[in-house]
Amino acid sequence: MAKRVLIVDDAQFMRELLRDIFEQAGWHVVGEAENGKRAVEQFQLLKPDLVTMDIVMPLRSGIDALSDIIAAKPDARVVMCSALGQESMMMEAVKAGAKDFIVKPFQPEQVLRIAARAML
Amino acid sequence: MDMSKFKAMFLTESAEHLRSMSTLLTALEGQPQNREGIDALFREAHSIKGMAASMGYERMARLAHHLEDTLDGFRKQGEISPAAVGRLLSGVDLLEDLREDISDNLPERDIAEFIEQGPDHPAVAGEQTPEPPAAGGALHVALSLQDNVVAPAVRLLLIVKQLEVLGAVEQLSPDLEELSAAGRDHRQLQLRLKTGLTPRDIEQAFADYPEISQLRVAATAPAAATRGQDRRRDDRRRGDRRQQGVAGATVRVDTALLDRFINLTGELVTNRHRLQTALGAQNWRELNEGLGQLGKLVQSLHGQVLQVRMTPVGSITERLPRVVRDLCRKNGKDVQLLIEGAEIELDRTILEEMADPLMHLVRNAVDHGIVEQGTIQLRIWRERSHVQIQIQDDGRGIDPQKIRQRAVEKGLLSARQAQALRTAEVLQLICRPGFSTTEQVTETSGRGVGMDVVKAAVEKLGGILLIDSTLGRGSRITMQLPLSVAIIRVLLLECDGKLLALPLSRILQTRQIERQELRRSGKQLLIQLKDETLPLLSLRKILGMPVPPAAARISLVVMKLFGRKVGLAVDRLVGHREVFVKKLPPPFDRLRGSNGGAVLGDGQVVFILDVQSFLERRR
Repeated sequence: MAKRVLIVDDAQFMRELLRDIFEQAGWHVVGEAENGKRAVEQFQLLKPDLVTMDIVMPLRSGIDALSDIIAAKPDARVVMCSALGQESMMMEAVKAGAKDFIVKPFQPEQVLRIAARAML
Repeated sequence: MDMSKFKAMFLTESAEHLRSMSTLLTALEGQPQNREGIDALFREAHSIKGMAASMGYERMARLAHHLEDTLDGFRKQGEISPAAVGRLLSGVDLLEDLREDISDNLPERDIAEFIEQGPDHPAVAGEQTPEPPAAGGALHVALSLQDNVVAPAVRLLLIVKQLEVLGAVEQLSPDLEELSAAGRDHRQLQLRLKTGLTPRDIEQAFADYPEISQLRVAATAPAAATRGQDRRRDDRRRGDRRQQGVAGATVRVDTALLDRFINLTGELVTNRHRLQTALGAQNWRELNEGLGQLGKLVQSLHGQVLQVRMTPVGSITERLPRVVRDLCRKNGKDVQLLIEGAEIELDRTILEEMADPLMHLVRNAVDHGIVEQGTIQLRIWRERSHVQIQIQDDGRGIDPQKIRQRAVEKGLLSARQAQALRTAEVLQLICRPGFSTTEQVTETSGRGVGMDVVKAAVEKLGGILLIDSTLGRGSRITMQLPLSVAIIRVLLLECDGKLLALPLSRILQTRQIERQELRRSGKQLLIQLKDETLPLLSLRKILGMPVPPAAARISLVVMKLFGRKVGLAVDRLVGHREVFVKKLPPPFDRLRGSNGGAVLGDGQVVFILDVQSFLERRR
């Protein structure tokens, strides 16, 4: 059965890029969200196996959304996406319960490897 | 007396002697009556004993002395038994372990058990002792990350969290507070893990972690029951260590070459005075001549620095026979490794990059290529401006159908696409990242080196990887590498007003052609050269630059892309240059399509294009 992923990022092209990467590898992209608030809503609704979460977003940040999701489901698998230089935020995210992180610019192999590892 | 600077020398030299002993012993297995070999071994052991004793490394000295005595006995006999060779190899392994202890500032480990065994005790390597569970003990875990890992402190934190699932983490160093502190670039950590798991379990938990460059897990209180598992782990660690590149931080230089450097320096000093004087006297002619001379001196210096960097390929192939021998022992195979051309010299950087890939290819040939018995031929030879390294085995070969199947299974291609591929293209599929499944990555295949890494390493150096295989007959992998990476000749060209460089080594010829010479086949433009018809590609189009209306004359670069000859149309050919290649700093080094940049004489910076890599990233 295909693994289900929810993609969260405020940039549409970023979401499309990740969607491409996941779909080509056989994942089922069950939904997308462009801010933290939507992310939490979609998570509750769709119950994906994995979430990729951008760190910096309007309305509700990736870290806050992450905390909400972990509070609702402590074993949720969330992988943070960030740009170079956001190390302190990534540290916060990991402490808040993120399973792993990937750094932009994305290499498809890297994304898939980390996603696969997060599923273990 | 300050022993620390001697320590560095001791470590480098002892490593050389130990490598030499390993090579000699492996050769002696096949030639037990080689007196010269036994003599040489004896001298090596003697040297190690002397060095260790003078540095105060008591156990290492004692063990070396023990081996020296053993070898003395065989020297007198004139021959050495295979059982003894096995035991001596274990002794050398133990000496290497001791050397590592010394290098890591740990106390030298115990050697009594080894010495008590006696000279003819058969080798203990490869014993299949069942692992008893650790008696509720604690493990000492030490690891370090690769240099290129981003956000290393965060990565370490994630690893600690994973370890917390496996046991109780204590004595974490650097501690959580330090790890979290901003601006620190921690890449290593140590900790104590209270757990019922064995070191092997921990190592397996982190088997698929390419971010980790080194992982050491040790039982902190080795009881008699855990000796078996310690031994197997030591074997694996030694195997890993043997994998690591031989090219260290120092290099041996011919004293004659050093003398030439001194002379050159003297001439440069003279030249500088000449230029200063000429400038002071406003003697422009003299200044001009002086600059001409400076140009020649700099060129000479370039050449000689490159010479220092040239090292024989043997430095990375010499440990291969031992590796093959150990693998054969472990898997019950009989493989002969023939090496030809180890004396050919290559730039150090190239050798360093190729050390691991070469090891992987040889291991692959033993593990997957050869079934029970066979031969691996490793040949190195020089062509005009390249070096070819070829590994050929007479094993079972690669089955293209199986590769196609796996590619479809992994979702890399559809079934129809897979069938449409030619055999050569199918074979290249094994170089796709993640192609090998975990079943294939056996204990012996090592960490993090797959065919994708081999291909990437070769192409990063500006080389080409060719795979050839016949089912049932064997496989052949050929790597074509440039002689030097530091300085290369490039073709400068212009496209859309931008200056770009192509490595001359990849270019077959350049021409000016008239537009009317072009032919058409459907949408593809073609050009006829002698008796070949080549497709015409536009570099502007490839790079995403605007394509202007057709010009009457076209500048053409003929090169091979994906194994086929093509004609690449560019705006203008500027000329040849010899440039010093500068690696792009991160994150630009992750860009596919460029292997680096170069600074031209007038200060301009140009990218050195790798057109094939560029096209690949679009596929």
